[in-house]
Parts: sequence; C-alpha cells; structure tokens
Amino acid sequence: MAEWICRTLRDGGLEGEHAPALIIKDTIRCPLSSFVFDHVLSQLSSFILSNKSQSKGIVLVALSRSPLYYQQFLKSKGYDVVDSPCWIKALDCYSDPLGWKSKLVESGSILNRDPGSSFTSSLCKNVRDLDNLFSSIIEIGKELAGDGKGRFVVAIDSVSEMLRHTTVSSVAALLSNLRSHDQVCCLFWLLHSDLHETRATAALEYMSSMQASVEPMALPANGQIGNSMNLSLMEQNYRRGKFCVRVKRRNGRVRMMFEELCVEISGVKFAPVSSEDNVISQSLVPKVQFNLQLSEKELNDRAKVVLPFEHQDNGKTTQIYDGRKSLNEDETEIHEKVNSSGKGEIIYFRDSDDEMPDSDEDPDDDLDI
Amino acid sequence: MFDEMRIVKIYIHMAAIRPRSSSFSRSTSVASNAVPGLKHGPNGTMFLSSGIQDLDKILGGGFTLGSLVMVMEDPEAPHHMLLLRNFMSQGLVHHQPLIYASPAKDPRGFLGTLPSVMVSKDDKSRAHESEQEKGLRIAWQYKKYFGEQNSDSQRDGKSEYCCDFDLRKPLERHFFTGKHIDCITLKDSADLTTFHDRCSSFLSQTPRTDGNVIGGRIAIQSLCSPQCEFSDKEWDMLSFVRSLKSLVRLSNSVAIITFPPSLVSPAFSKRLQHLADTLVSVKAIPDEDKELAKLLTGYQDMVGLLSMHKVARINTQVLNVSSDLTSSLK
Repeated sequence: MAEWICRTLRDGGLEGEHAPALIIKDTIRCPLSSFVFDHVLSQLSSFILSNKSQSKGIVLVALSRSPLYYQQFLKSKGYDVVDSPCWIKALDCYSDPLGWKSKLVESGSILNRDPGSSFTSSLCKNVRDLDNLFSSIIEIGKELAGDGKGRFVVAIDSVSEMLRHTTVSSVAALLSNLRSHDQVCCLFWLLHSDLHETRATAALEYMSSMQASVEPMALPANGQIGNSMNLSLMEQNYRRGKFCVRVKRRNGRVRMMFEELCVEISGVKFAPVSSEDNVISQSLVPKVQFNLQLSEKELNDRAKVVLPFEHQDNGKTTQIYDGRKSLNEDETEIHEKVNSSGKGEIIYFRDSDDEMPDSDEDPDDDLDI
Repeated sequence: MFDEMRIVKIYIHMAAIRPRSSSFSRSTSVASNAVPGLKHGPNGTMFLSSGIQDLDKILGGGFTLGSLVMVMEDPEAPHHMLLLRNFMSQGLVHHQPLIYASPAKDPRGFLGTLPSVMVSKDDKSRAHESEQEKGLRIAWQYKKYFGEQNSDSQRDGKSEYCCDFDLRKPLERHFFTGKHIDCITLKDSADLTTFHDRCSSFLSQTPRTDGNVIGGRIAIQSLCSPQCEFSDKEWDMLSFVRSLKSLVRLSNSVAIITFPPSLVSPAFSKRLQHLADTLVSVKAIPDEDKELAKLLTGYQDMVGLLSMHKVARINTQVLNVSSDLTSSLK
C-alpha cells in the first residue's frame, strides 16, 4: 500500500482539484514515521528522476532534521543532490529557526562556520512567520519547476516542530494554501500525534486527503515496563509496526488499508499483513452483553429441534402436551427421572383437573344479556 | 468530481415515511401558489426546496422559511458539499437571492461546480407510466396514492418546486448574472463581525412582514474550518450563529451552515447542535467493507449516510415527520 500512496502522490490532483496531501503520523510507542517519510521522499525522487512524474522538483522544508542528513540519505539511495542538475532543494529551518544564531554572528560573538551548499537553498530565520515561509516555498518551487505549468512536490519534515512556534490555524492555513496552489503537485508532512492536543491533530487530519499512521504491532500488557517480555515487545515496536492508511476517495468513501512495516538497515520494508495479526474490521452489529451469534454446536442442536405441529414423517402420532398427566405418562416419567439425572426437566403439576384444556365453548356464553 | 453520480437520491433504510395527515386538512390547491420556489406548509409556514427531492420528502416539504439548518460534516467525506451545491443551484434556478461564504480564497470558483437542471424526459416517462397502469389492476382504495404522483410529473421544469440536478453538468451561466448572488471568503477575516453585517443587510432585504415573499438563501460552508483565524474563538462563533439564527427567524430566508463537529470542543459542538432548527449529519462509509455490504442492500451505489437529527418546528409543538432517520446517499 505504500507503493500505492507514492503513486497517488506522484499523479497529483486533477484539474481544479486540490493537491493530494498525505499526513504521516506516529506515537512514541512506535516512532517509525520518519522512516516512512524518508521512504516516500526517495520514491518520489526516483519518479521525478526517471521522468515518470508530472512534477519537476521537490521542495523539502527541513525543520526537525538537518538538510545534511537528507543529502546523505539521498546519496545512500543513489541520488546525488549536490552535483547533478537540481531537482530538489531544501529550505533550512533547522539550523536557525528563530534567528538567534544570526543575531549572535552579527554582534560578533560567534563566527559563521557554515559553508552552505547548493542543496540548501535558503535559510529560514523566522519559522513563526508562516506567510513568509509560504512565499519562500513557492519561490523555490518555481525555480525548480520553471514558470508556467511546471509543478513541484512539497515535503514538510515535522509539522510538529511548526506547531511549537505557531498556532494550529496558521499551520492549517499554510497547508490549505499549498494544497490549493496551482503549481503544487502534492504535499506530504510528518506529525507526532501524541505531542499535540486531539483538536490540533484532528485539524491537520482534516486538511489532508490521505492519512498514514504507524501503530505498534504488539501492545505491552498491563502497561508495566519492567517486565522482560514487555521490554522485548517494546523493542520490537522500534523495528516493526503496523502501517494503516485511510484514504478519502473522490466519491466520498473512505478506504482503509493495512500493511506491516519493518525497519532494516537498508531501509523500510512493507509487507502485506500476516494472518496472525488479523484486521479487526469494524462490525456494525452492536456490542451487547448477550451472545447474538450461534456456535457450531448450537446451530446443530437448533436444526435437531422437533417443532410441534410439524409432521416428522416417522410414523408416530404427535403428542401435544395438554398439561394433564395420564397414568401412563406418570410411570414413564419416573423411569426417565431415574435414568437421566443430568437433564434439566420442568415438572409442572396442574392446579386442578377440573379445567378443560381445549374448550370449544365461548367464555362469553355465560353472560346473560 | 462525482463522475459516477448523476442525481442525488436518498434512500431510507429505517421505517418508511408515513406523513401523518390529520383528518382536518386544508384544501390548498397547488395552482394558486404564484411563486415557483416556495410552497405552503402546515401551521402557516412556507417551505423552500433543498434541491434534493428525497430530502424534501424526509423534511416534510423542504426547509422552513426562517429556520437555521446545520449540517454536521464528516471530515473524511465531502457530502456536505453535495447538499450545499443542490441547495444553491435550486436557489439560483428560482432566482432567489443567495449569499455563499467559505474559507476558500476564491469562493466564486465554487459556483462553477454547481449542477445544472436535469433535462426532464417527461413525455417519455409519463407515457410509460400510463402503460404500466393499464397492466396493473389497482384496488380502488389505493388509487388515491397514485393521484399524487401524477400531479407531480405534470409540471413544467422551470416552475417545479424541486428540480432534479445533473451533477455532471455545470449550471448554465445565465443563472449567475444578476446582483442577487454574493460570495464571501472567510479566510482572512480575523473575526466574524464584517460577515455578520453582510448577512444582516442581506436578510433585511427579505423581511417577514413583506407581502411579496421571495425567499433568500444563505449558505456557509465549513464554519469552524481550521484555516480561519477565528476558528479557535469558539464563543465568538457561537454568538455569531446565535445572532444569525435570530436574524433569520425574523426574515423569509433559510440559512444553512456546515461545520465539522470533530474540530471544535465537544461542549461547543453540542451548543451549536442545539442552536440548529434543523440538524442533519453526513457520514462517510468505508470502501470495500464486506460486513457493510452484507448488512445494507445497494451498498455498491452508496456514497454516504445522511442522518436527520432534528426537523424545524415553527409554530407547532408536534412534528408531522419522524426525526432520527438514517438514509443513504447515492
């Protein structure tokens, strides 16, 4: 499913539609979303370099990891970002997000040792000003894509970092502006959902068209960390996870897909869900305290029940119990009681034998009108 | 866009609608209604159409003039846009004044997505129906139900109360000319005061006491959308909706507001829901869900679920339609 997501991002949106937007979420229990982010980035890079995509470049807004990390990562994947013609540029919001370093340099307290590189297009000194950030992104994107119809991809590393400095509404405004911009082909960003209030996460999910979340495969029992089994489970959660994707389709339906995620030295691997970890599909049958389903044995027993007033085709006349015990029945009953002590029986003694069970008389006949 | 859908049809899955007609029914003939976009309702109210025939039936005739309709969105599905599109198109076809507000930069662009009136194949369907009737031998006591259907299909497309809309074709341009359409963006407003003033001046054009009733429409999309600066000022939004409700009640218009309830705190969501006269919610359905396919017939064509929570009760204590219904959108 990860391939499907990357292809959807590559294809972009239709004319007049907003660009597809992917949100990659995780929690501390399984913090593998940065690997997913890197994977999506490398996939899109390969599409762009092999000319399979309509977008001409990627603008990477680096907030939580240095652009140098990305340079090395892409190099390890075989994409040279420094020497070859540029198709990717990073907006460095990591080195000096609030402009403190440049103030110190200006006042002469420290020396500026940063050599800069062609990969890093520009340094953002004020992450709080999102309007400025928006215009810088668009500027870099236009450089990469060329003017006119060229489109580019925007990748935001860690919107969580952005939310540290600004409000949810300004971040949401930035994302919606990017999505509605003509030249943006697609957009994806990273979010650590347990760092923020549910409303903030909900607002950012609202702005996206696809949600990919990384969840732990195995939850530690009882929340006790000291237990050795739980420790190994937790370690496992740092290497493997469940990758759940929710896609908002154009016709208004929501598609959910699941995969297994495994982090190895070479990168991230996605595999279809193994049969052990079954997908718990949402059942619409309400959860009640009594059992609505029948087990196999119960189904068999139900089929065996002899229904009254139904011919059983076995020659015997059906005996309809009318509440009055005859002498014969009495004897057989005593026998049965001795033989089958395990079965439950309802023994009912009628109050009196005077009452006629099946009376053809109309009870209203007694009335004298 | 909805390339698979043509008309929005709403199918009712729960108990069938049986309009409870009292034994004293006013004999208002349809022909005496001069204004095409409006219809007389019970208890001295007037209705205007929502643009979807099945929804009008569920509501008991349409949206009551002077009521505030709130639609609870599902953040994962755009069905509220469908309701808004039909609502706005119906208003434009009937030349009713319209205000549309949305958090988008260019709300006028949304007008381009409004559906056009379906070209009615009236003659064909009528001939077919009469043929069918000859084959059917209907008991005399049931003929009274067929009488209603016949009178509906005999109307001309233009003067129909509720039109069928073809979602694949955009609305003809000539409906957009005229000064009675206003599009406002809520994006860059720090608060709702300017919009409030626009609404109140719009609503003063269609006051209750006016003899010549036209019926105005206000459509506000995604009020609590996170892009707007005022989205975290919940009390401001609440007081805006409250005063809009009171303004609408004094006028001959209908205001429809869609909002995503998951993006406001639960207390405010409840308050907004209580403010509504008519409350509807739309919900997405999961794709390729085998369990749902077993439970619901027609699952393949369904795109979403529509639930009716409240229906406007103006001048009455008793509703003649049942509320708490869930229907599916196709």
